[in-house]
Amino acid sequence: MSIEQIGQDVPARIDAPAPAVARPLGAGPFGAMLASRAGLAVVQAVILAVIIAAWQAVADGMHTEFWTSSPLGVARALAKWWSSGTLTTDLRLTLFEAGCGFVAGSLAGGIVGFVLGWIRGLGDVFEPFVLSLYTLPKIALAPLFVLWFGIGPLNKVMFAGLLVFFMVFFTTFQGIRQVDRDIVANARLLGASRAQIWTKIAMPYAAVWIFTGLRIGLPYALIGAIVGEFVAADSGVGFRIKESTSYFDTAGVFAGLVVLMAVSLLFLGLLKIVERHVLRWQDPGMTVTAPDHQA
Amino acid sequence: MFHETVVRFGALTAMGPTSLAVRAGEFLTVVGPSGCGKSTLLNLIAGTLQASSGQVLYDGRTVSGPNPHVGYITQKNYCLPWRTVAANIRLPLEFRRVQRAEAERRVAAAIRQVGLSGFEHAYPRQLSGGMLQRVMIARTLAYGPATYLMDEPFGSLDAQLRLHMHVELMRLWRETGSTFVFVTHDLHEAIALGDRVVVMSGRPGRPKFILGIDLPRPRDVVALQGDPRFGAYFRQLWDAIDVH
Repeated sequence: MSIEQIGQDVPARIDAPAPAVARPLGAGPFGAMLASRAGLAVVQAVILAVIIAAWQAVADGMHTEFWTSSPLGVARALAKWWSSGTLTTDLRLTLFEAGCGFVAGSLAGGIVGFVLGWIRGLGDVFEPFVLSLYTLPKIALAPLFVLWFGIGPLNKVMFAGLLVFFMVFFTTFQGIRQVDRDIVANARLLGASRAQIWTKIAMPYAAVWIFTGLRIGLPYALIGAIVGEFVAADSGVGFRIKESTSYFDTAGVFAGLVVLMAVSLLFLGLLKIVERHVLRWQDPGMTVTAPDHQA
Repeated sequence: MFHETVVRFGALTAMGPTSLAVRAGEFLTVVGPSGCGKSTLLNLIAGTLQASSGQVLYDGRTVSGPNPHVGYITQKNYCLPWRTVAANIRLPLEFRRVQRAEAERRVAAAIRQVGLSGFEHAYPRQLSGGMLQRVMIARTLAYGPATYLMDEPFGSLDAQLRLHMHVELMRLWRETGSTFVFVTHDLHEAIALGDRVVVMSGRPGRPKFILGIDLPRPRDVVALQGDPRFGAYFRQLWDAIDVH
């Protein structure tokens, strides 16, 4: 396996033809409903409501509250955290850790990916080293990180940064390697300096891949922070989940998960807006969608 | 100007020995069989390729790196997809650190000259092949090089559009007063556009015949096709190029 291969199953190619527009499901009124944006939102809201209702029904009817909690129980737990202020302090800490890790990991991954992608010889030399680090199950490093960086936020920042690093590194590396060298030669003839080629040609060229890396890396930042809090912490959303588990407080566990899910979606949405602005020259059909990656 | 210039790629001698002087302000067209080093000739002038032996002089000075005085237009389109038409044309001016206001003025003028008004804010993917080629020409016009190197720039366009581009190119050549070196494999194109036509021999390519085209200017590239002198020039080139 090479770095390229890893990168390849992540982003779509920049020159890939836009996929054919999907036909509406069926020809009936339901298909027509899915075709409009508002109709789609209504259908999705109904599905969500059904899931929540079913969850509540199972919890009440089959008395599984202890194992599965229930939407009402989760809502009560959230309300309790909210009124006691733990929700705010936990969320602030976890977001701080994930945020710092995301920024640090993205910067490091982007810079290293750029350098190793641009200078082919260097990339070939270091490829096996980066790959061996990548294949390591990073979770196994968590206890070591406690030893190195203590039990404070720094430990979580570093761990989140490590996870994000690889995601951004691979996509940037791949993107930079794809830069059309003819265009670079042409730019040089037009009078471009080395720095101008990096900023005006290479970086915009690789932007599609870099954004894919950021999008995949974002949930990893949260994963890193949460894993760090699982291992050693005294507050944060991850710590709260672990604490709830040890008290058999299933509602608390689910409440923590709901909070994480909401935060993830919020940030992905924000990133999508930035991406749409930066990559506005593209066909909507050409934008890359994030593959499902699980830790 | 070339002096006993030879280009080798490994054991393969691609061009030469070639001696050729391009006159300032002329429209020189170059024809020859594929692989005869027509593009090599342009690459030498542009400085993207170094001669294995001999000399390449531009304005009396040896070309030893990317030559900033030339504009290079090929069949391949180098538009950056994330930049609008205007921003693509502005690119060389940004590279050369031209003042913003001056750059905007030159970009607007170039867009007018190639007839792309109204498409300033379009992205390359929204344009046709002919329009993209105009963007490439406008981008070169914007920084106004003394010499235009064109390597089959209209090779991918249909015949009708190609004729249309010839008319525009003739106008640009008159307006700019620049030197044009135009590589093509289309003899009609070579005669209709050129002051002189250089015929290259098969590999290793070297100029084996130079034909002066003594047709009055401005030329009507369409009416020209029926001119008896045009037919005679065509015959001469055809005999010169035919190596069989």
